[in-house]
Amino acid sequence: MTLSVTGLSVRRAGHTILHPTDLTIESGERIALVGPSGSGKSTLGHALTDRIGGGRGVVAHAPQSPDEALDPLRTLQFHWREAERALGLSPDPGHQSDLLAALGLSRADLTTRPWGWSRGMQQRFVIAMALIGAPRLLILDEPTSALDPVIAAATMELVDRHLSASSTAMLLITHDLGLAARRAERIWVLEAGRIVEDAATAALLARPASLAARRLVAHRNWAVLPC
Amino acid sequence: MLRVEALFVERGGRPVLHGVDLTLAPGRTLAVIGESGAGKSTLIGAMLGIVRSRSGSVTWDGGDLRTAYPSLVMQEPRAAFNPALSLRRSVMEPVRARRLELPDGRIGRLCAGLELDPGLLDRRPHEVSIGQAQRLGILRALIASPPIVLFDEPLSALDAVTQKHTASLIAALQREEGFAALVVTHDLGYAAAHADDVVILRNGRIEEAAAAQSFFRAPRTAYGRALREAALALGALERIA
Amino acid sequence: MTALVDVLLRAVVVLAGTALATFALLWHAPGDPALAIAVARYDAVVPPEVLDQIRAQAGLDAGFWSAFRHWITPILTGDFGSSSVSGRPVWPDLRDAIALTVPLALAGLAIGLVLSVPLAVFATRRPGGWLDRSTVAVASLGAAIPAYWLGLLLILLFAVHLGWLPAMGAQTAAHMILPALTLGLGVAASLMRILRSGLLEARGQPFLPALARRGVARNRIGRDHVAPHAAVPVVTVLGLELAFLLEGAVIVEVIFARPGLGSFLVQAISARDFPKVQAVVILTALLFVTVNLLIDLTYRLLDPRTGSRDA
Repeated sequence: MTLSVTGLSVRRAGHTILHPTDLTIESGERIALVGPSGSGKSTLGHALTDRIGGGRGVVAHAPQSPDEALDPLRTLQFHWREAERALGLSPDPGHQSDLLAALGLSRADLTTRPWGWSRGMQQRFVIAMALIGAPRLLILDEPTSALDPVIAAATMELVDRHLSASSTAMLLITHDLGLAARRAERIWVLEAGRIVEDAATAALLARPASLAARRLVAHRNWAVLPC
Repeated sequence: MLRVEALFVERGGRPVLHGVDLTLAPGRTLAVIGESGAGKSTLIGAMLGIVRSRSGSVTWDGGDLRTAYPSLVMQEPRAAFNPALSLRRSVMEPVRARRLELPDGRIGRLCAGLELDPGLLDRRPHEVSIGQAQRLGILRALIASPPIVLFDEPLSALDAVTQKHTASLIAALQREEGFAALVVTHDLGYAAAHADDVVILRNGRIEEAAAAQSFFRAPRTAYGRALREAALALGALERIA
Repeated sequence: MTALVDVLLRAVVVLAGTALATFALLWHAPGDPALAIAVARYDAVVPPEVLDQIRAQAGLDAGFWSAFRHWITPILTGDFGSSSVSGRPVWPDLRDAIALTVPLALAGLAIGLVLSVPLAVFATRRPGGWLDRSTVAVASLGAAIPAYWLGLLLILLFAVHLGWLPAMGAQTAAHMILPALTLGLGVAASLMRILRSGLLEARGQPFLPALARRGVARNRIGRDHVAPHAAVPVVTVLGLELAFLLEGAVIVEVIFARPGLGSFLVQAISARDFPKVQAVVILTALLFVTVNLLIDLTYRLLDPRTGSRDA
């Protein structure tokens, strides 16, 4: 099933942050939204979530930092139950332990408050929580930026495996084309609030058309390893 | 030549660094890599004397490192500047503090090397972009020609393209100026592209120390291999097929 | 656990210090304490033998520490002793005074809460809106007006001009209305400002948009997330609020000529009735220490980060 949105735009204090944009996302598709800082990537993610409506379980959004996702005064279990209730689901401990295990959190203590966990664990908890309602689209805003590389790579791997088993589509928001190229089959390049290029990953890497995409491709990796 | 010997730091009764040894020669770049909590920032603090070490020594050419006036580039570019002062005043602070005579054209040459418009110096920190602010931080660190510069996650606040651009500007200036660079980072990609040597710090101990080339060809420890695999999986490094 | 011991230890030190400081203040006040007691008790100038007798009775003749010991020992066993003026036990009179003052203070607190909480909640829905700005203005004005002046204004309006309510005494429940209102308006003004800043800060918490995107209903976000965050600063200042209430109650009682702790204390001080003054001060200190202890514990319950060092 295809998700499509037309005329998505955001204006704030008289400035246009996001110019009117039409988006279509196929079922199970993995898309990366790439662009420099300040180009409006997070804004697009928020606007898309708000437009489709997160509450009905169609789209789920995991913010960049756990501080933007979890109330420090409430336990992790409280957050989980609250998310279930918001989706109209009754508590399902089996589903919960499956999702937590999928993100490598099977033995974690949920009775503690978020700050009792490392930031990496919090981030994975937020992603697990986003998957509760089996959304058709999962939006991940810079999921690796709060994580150490080893944990970041493991997290992306776990998410990948979970998404492959369902038909959930992913929108990966990142400034890093290297990461995007490894994790997505289609790339949207955002610059100054406009999607300036929309192409299959291989095509974009081989023949970037826009100036923004050419800059991203030129600075794609730090180094190439002979191995 | 920087020499850190058997550096031991405790915090609240718990050891944070257990006997760390490092050496770094002028003109070379050493990347100190590790996850959060590994003791990377503590290492910089202890080298600068901000964090008290229980034992061990940090020397430059045999004397206390602090007498060699090392400089520091911080992670948060804007937070590194006093918001009430013009950037020129902040950038000139190391020169003023030590009453140095600046050679003619030094600011101009450094600005050119960092691709900075000298006019930016008359602005305040919030009136420049993050990328510009970080290059101004580097300008301040280099203005008094220090023999060694400590970089604490210098690129992590920047986006991927700006990171690579800034790193190449630093490398070019290092070839001209000849300072030693100690770069604390969690980014293996940066280390692969720019470091001569790498040190992997884990739980306050050196897990692995090697020339960058040999580390990236074949890490010797399991953790070193995990880091390298992670960088490949995240697209920070690329294999040649 | 060590934190709890810490808090309890601090409470004991505060109590001991209060006892000593109050006693020292009265002891070093100008004039002969024995003479003051004699005048209060017999309403006349008395011969020197009687003064000596008074001194011996109150332990005044053997110096400061002896008099302090003389007084503190029975208190530690819960016995506040007898008035050095009338000779009657302190506790029954004090109990009667408390029974008059506590309902007044509670009524004031209730009025304060009923006025400030809904107003703060509505005003902060639109920060900077007309309701918000006018509430802030009125609250600042209210906090600046002293209780004795506000009390007089209310008496003029409701008792003198309109003749709706009695102004003096404590005979009926209607006598409580004006004093409680005077107290309550002051409480509302100061609570209002704290609640407002607490609510504004709570509404700006970075995780709130994510909750809404998760589909959590607006009223649940308010109840489960905004309210606890707003309560943290409010609970913190409740101790200060209690000081305001007690101080206000004493002043208000004097304005409205109500019997209670206010008149009890004023009479005891002017008669230099050591045991009575000390009893009031010790009880007040005990109340404060207990309330602050409870606040500290509530605070830890609300925001467990307070108790843990690693957070």
